[in-house]
Amino acid sequence: MEGGLRHRPKTLDEVFRLREREPECRLLAGGTDLCVQHRGRLGETPLLSLRRVAELRGVARSRPDLPGAADLLPGGECLRIGAGTTLSALLNETEIERGFPALRAALSAIGSRQIRNVATIGGNLCNASPAADGAPPLLVLDAAVEIASREGRRLLPLEEFFRGPGRTSLGAEEILAAVWVPLPFEDEVSVFLRKGRVKMDIAIASLALRCRRGAGTLSGLRLAAGAVGPTPLRLRRTEALLEGASLKDCGLVREPGGRPRAREDGLLARAMDEASKEIAPIDDLRASAWYRRRLVRVFLERAVAEVFAQ
Amino acid sequence: MKARLRFRLNGKVVETEVETHWRLLDLLRDGLGLTGTKEGCGAGECGACTVLCDGEAVNACLMLALEAEDREIRTVEGLVGPGGRLSAVQRAFVEEGGAQCGFCSPGMVMSAQALLLEDPDPSEERIREALTGNLCRCTGYKQIVAAIRRAASLRRSEAGEGERGEAGGEG
Amino acid sequence: MTGTRFVGTKFPRPEAPDKVSGRALYIHDVVRPGMLHGAIKHSAHAHARILRIDTSRAEALPGVEAVITGFDTPELRVGFLRENRALKRDKVRNQRDEIAAVAARDPETARRALELIEVEYEVLPAVFDPVEAMREGAPRIHEVDGRGRPTRDNRVPMECRHHSGDLEAAKERSAFRVAGDYEVPWIQQSCMGTAGCIAEFDANGDLTVWAKTQIPFLAQRDFNRALEEMGLEGRNTRVIVTTLGGGFGTGLDTHCYEYIAILLAHRTGRPVKVLMDREEEFRYLSPRQSARVHIEQGCDEEGRLTYREVRVLQDNGAYASWGATFPTVMLLPVTSLYKVPVVHFDAEIVYTNNTYAQAMRGYGNPEVTMAIESNLDELALAAGIDRLEIRRINCNEPGEVTPMGARVGSCGLRACIEACAEKLDWRAKPGRNGRLRGVGMASMLHVGGSGRIYRSDASGIILKLDDFGNVNVFYGGVEMGQGLHSTIRLAIADSLGVLPEKVRVNPTDTATCPWDVGTHASRGAFMACNAALEAVRKLRARLFAYCVDLFPREVERALRKQRAGGPPPRPEGGAAPDRSSPPSAEADLSFAQGRAPGDFELEKGLVFVKDGPDAPWAKIPLDRILRAIHFREGGDMLTETAFYDPPSELPDWREGRGNMSAAYTYGAQAVELEVDPETGEVEILRFVSAMDIGKVLNPQALDGQVLGGLAQGLGYALYEEVKTEEGAILNPNFTDYKLPTAHEMAFPVDLVYVETDEPTGPFGAKGAGEPGLVPTAPAIANALRDALGVSLRTLPMTPERILRALDPSAS
Repeated sequence: MEGGLRHRPKTLDEVFRLREREPECRLLAGGTDLCVQHRGRLGETPLLSLRRVAELRGVARSRPDLPGAADLLPGGECLRIGAGTTLSALLNETEIERGFPALRAALSAIGSRQIRNVATIGGNLCNASPAADGAPPLLVLDAAVEIASREGRRLLPLEEFFRGPGRTSLGAEEILAAVWVPLPFEDEVSVFLRKGRVKMDIAIASLALRCRRGAGTLSGLRLAAGAVGPTPLRLRRTEALLEGASLKDCGLVREPGGRPRAREDGLLARAMDEASKEIAPIDDLRASAWYRRRLVRVFLERAVAEVFAQ
Repeated sequence: MKARLRFRLNGKVVETEVETHWRLLDLLRDGLGLTGTKEGCGAGECGACTVLCDGEAVNACLMLALEAEDREIRTVEGLVGPGGRLSAVQRAFVEEGGAQCGFCSPGMVMSAQALLLEDPDPSEERIREALTGNLCRCTGYKQIVAAIRRAASLRRSEAGEGERGEAGGEG
Repeated sequence: MTGTRFVGTKFPRPEAPDKVSGRALYIHDVVRPGMLHGAIKHSAHAHARILRIDTSRAEALPGVEAVITGFDTPELRVGFLRENRALKRDKVRNQRDEIAAVAARDPETARRALELIEVEYEVLPAVFDPVEAMREGAPRIHEVDGRGRPTRDNRVPMECRHHSGDLEAAKERSAFRVAGDYEVPWIQQSCMGTAGCIAEFDANGDLTVWAKTQIPFLAQRDFNRALEEMGLEGRNTRVIVTTLGGGFGTGLDTHCYEYIAILLAHRTGRPVKVLMDREEEFRYLSPRQSARVHIEQGCDEEGRLTYREVRVLQDNGAYASWGATFPTVMLLPVTSLYKVPVVHFDAEIVYTNNTYAQAMRGYGNPEVTMAIESNLDELALAAGIDRLEIRRINCNEPGEVTPMGARVGSCGLRACIEACAEKLDWRAKPGRNGRLRGVGMASMLHVGGSGRIYRSDASGIILKLDDFGNVNVFYGGVEMGQGLHSTIRLAIADSLGVLPEKVRVNPTDTATCPWDVGTHASRGAFMACNAALEAVRKLRARLFAYCVDLFPREVERALRKQRAGGPPPRPEGGAAPDRSSPPSAEADLSFAQGRAPGDFELEKGLVFVKDGPDAPWAKIPLDRILRAIHFREGGDMLTETAFYDPPSELPDWREGRGNMSAAYTYGAQAVELEVDPETGEVEILRFVSAMDIGKVLNPQALDGQVLGGLAQGLGYALYEEVKTEEGAILNPNFTDYKLPTAHEMAFPVDLVYVETDEPTGPFGAKGAGEPGLVPTAPAIANALRDALGVSLRTLPMTPERILRALDPSAS
């Protein structure tokens, strides 16, 4: 089959029909990764653009009326983010600016202005890069993905969506339609920390944290890390260690220079050890596994300190 | 394989045939002879191919030409007004030494244009943020940042004089 | 010469409007009728014998016009040691070796055809480390040298050393001695415009090459030699330089891709463009030379330097390009930065199966200044002397003759060091948020009056005046974005006496411009302006000689016209005509009669008699005079040429001696930074750059050179590195080769210029193109040591390297 942009459907139904007819077609969302991966070979790559599918775009409060919603999104009201929504559009959403600081920080770290103007949240997730900045904050927000096909729609916890580098649990005929994010609690805090070699860079390690401050303790703690394993990772064992911990339990002190420091005998220091065991970073061009581990430890220390400082 | 494409380019409707695998960059440079938009990396890293799509900065190397259907594209050539009058951003780049080898300049100018459409009086931090996707190897960026500050004030004073912006005013 | 009005003032570049509006034509944009697109097949192995190349499937692809290999084309030798060939035949010596090429109707077809070329190799053992390459029994990269003589080992036959004084005695005498080993990586020049060329033969067999070059005339020589090797003796090459898109040293050599374009153009009889994309540029264009530098310096109790010993080991890669000559530039800072009585410098350059390197800004100087200046701080620490003080104690002075024989004319190093001392707070202070703060500085010395590395170090210039008062300039150097044309404009406007907009610098073309050795060694403005000043002197002499006869008649005419109610002469540039002194009926014209040439002056495009009346009719526009000279019996046009060869010596490299430049540029940079000891992240808070450039000719261009250099220095210090594995480039893109962006350059920079009025310099100026990046990395390394208490001796100083330096046991 000849490559290039073959179809620009306007509805999901059309998308499904076309994919059935031409399963070779690759789905094109923002194109910022795909055009790089296939540079010089776009003529051999049949493409189906999702850009005109209006139902894939937009952010709205909504209650998920999908199988499994009661378990996966027990809070009821959520933010439904269309998979085709651009990162710039998301960053312009007041709802995200107000309620989801970690997500916002992560989205604004992705690429350049030019990239964010076309790249979509769905593309960021479907690309399934272990370093995808959108993933860790959505993981800690207990986000679920809405997967659509001709057969209907299903919900899946985001964590189960990632299968490995570049691999997702999307079936051949399925597409990612939306991301559902539970609305934040009143006392919710979220933090996102990352490091690249320069400002505009793929993350060499990142960490997202979300919790409720409750009565001065970490409650409902969620942690996720990026670029330190085959997929973005939830750090469940570390979460369990720190759940319910107070500032005192953590053993967090402030050094004379102003730096927060986890005392060696405190819970946070143990959690940092646990986190470095829970992740599985590799040595590559961008950083060594050693350095990535080190960053995750520091990020955890600082993220917890920030929660208590807020 | 070819397909028809209709879009607005620098304020005029263009109807043309394009290869379905062409990037917007290929259409502009090879199809329409608008070589002001440069290819510096072909991977969305350098920003030399930045153009405006419906007023927003995008990399023409990462957009399929056919995706421009029904959209408004503006290139660096489209900022030049009647009689070859350069836009405020372009004049400011000339005056402040914002262009050295010049290869990044069209992209820098377009990123600056997009920023000023959004924020007529951007802070230095905002300017730097808007330029993060535009690499320059010559200037060290300082004279480019200075040029954008100057462009902002030129645009404000021209708007104040009641002039209807320049050709790129609408993005 | 008239006083300076434009020199030293901020003036926009003449080519900038075309650049910002997308009209400037780079090699990417140039199209010739019937042009084909070339693509090159590179080696799949770092070291292998080529057994067979089958091009038949590629040839059969529709749209392919020619497929060539080293087996079916004349052998074209490349490089100054002549051991490289445009297309390899016997074996490949690294992963970038060119083995076949295609010309096709479009780039896609050409690239697809490459995939259809089948090559059979016999893989050979390879060596990727220069130390291993020197061992006995190491795989031999070249069995014979460029002249066909058998080689004895993998050493590149290039000698450059300097030994002065008794090293052992000096070591004995020293109260303090510090040694260190430094390593600097390959980095990519990363011009925003990638490399490319177009080659086209005309029906006479003469060749035109549109080239991205900094050496049009040496390229012409190289390509003419290729034409000879192709059996086209007596044919000529015309090199036309397009708008460059960045140079930084990439254009100092001729490249295999250019010879391949020539071969393809010859084979097809059509113009052929070869254009690299970004990935190809990273893989196949020569980066900056890497180096390992061992240094030892000593001082006496008072901090006076007693000796400096430097041994350099360079991984040359597979062939010699200008990377192999980096030691010839290192010689200057090694022997001459600060007063050092005893200097021993040795360099070893070794072939390996890695990529090979070419020039980049500063060319050897930043590599070795990193070691000298970083080691000097350690010496100061060992001796318990303040870091600024040790630099003051050993500071170079005007009139000094250095161990290599560099004769220092103007020297403002002391003032540069003082500027660094003054502009930063050198007291120990804590950083913010638990980060560690540090300050550091480094000095530098670079050629400032060109650098003689070739028999002729000259530049020619032609100034051609036309009937409209334009000064058409033909100069063989290359405008790369540095502002050369803008500077030439200001220098000629001032020295000749016209407005800058009347000075039009033409594109560089070997057919029209006089010879120039190339735009390198920070020589552009120094050479062009010196040549221009000489040509201007000749022009003015001829102009004023004609004025003796012509001027009285022109004044009379002007007066007559004005009395008849005509407008007074309009000064150039559209300024309002001067109506202040209406001519009286009895205006006395005798002032204009019987004048000597020396009585005339030209200013802002108006010719007048120096002590004549200050009346508009007594000032004749230059274009009128020029037309009067032209349109008379025995008419004449004013064109003058000058050929300037600076007063310098071609050094004896084996001895490391010679006054290689007509002037020397000094400078220092200082930096204040903070480093996060937990993540290793460095934040630059501010920079000071102080440079003795003799005289500021063109402030806008100069600021751009210094700031741009500093940004490259920052990349060299903290971010940039071409990574390789078994000779393959691992990061051939900006995704993984990180350049500083506007964000990394967000700190304030204090620019200080020290004007020392260099006697050999035009208007007193010295070269300033390269120095901006020379001291940047050691200044940062010194500030990091100040902050952390450990030395970073490997570039780039990445966060990870910083953490490992803090915790050497980390694994």
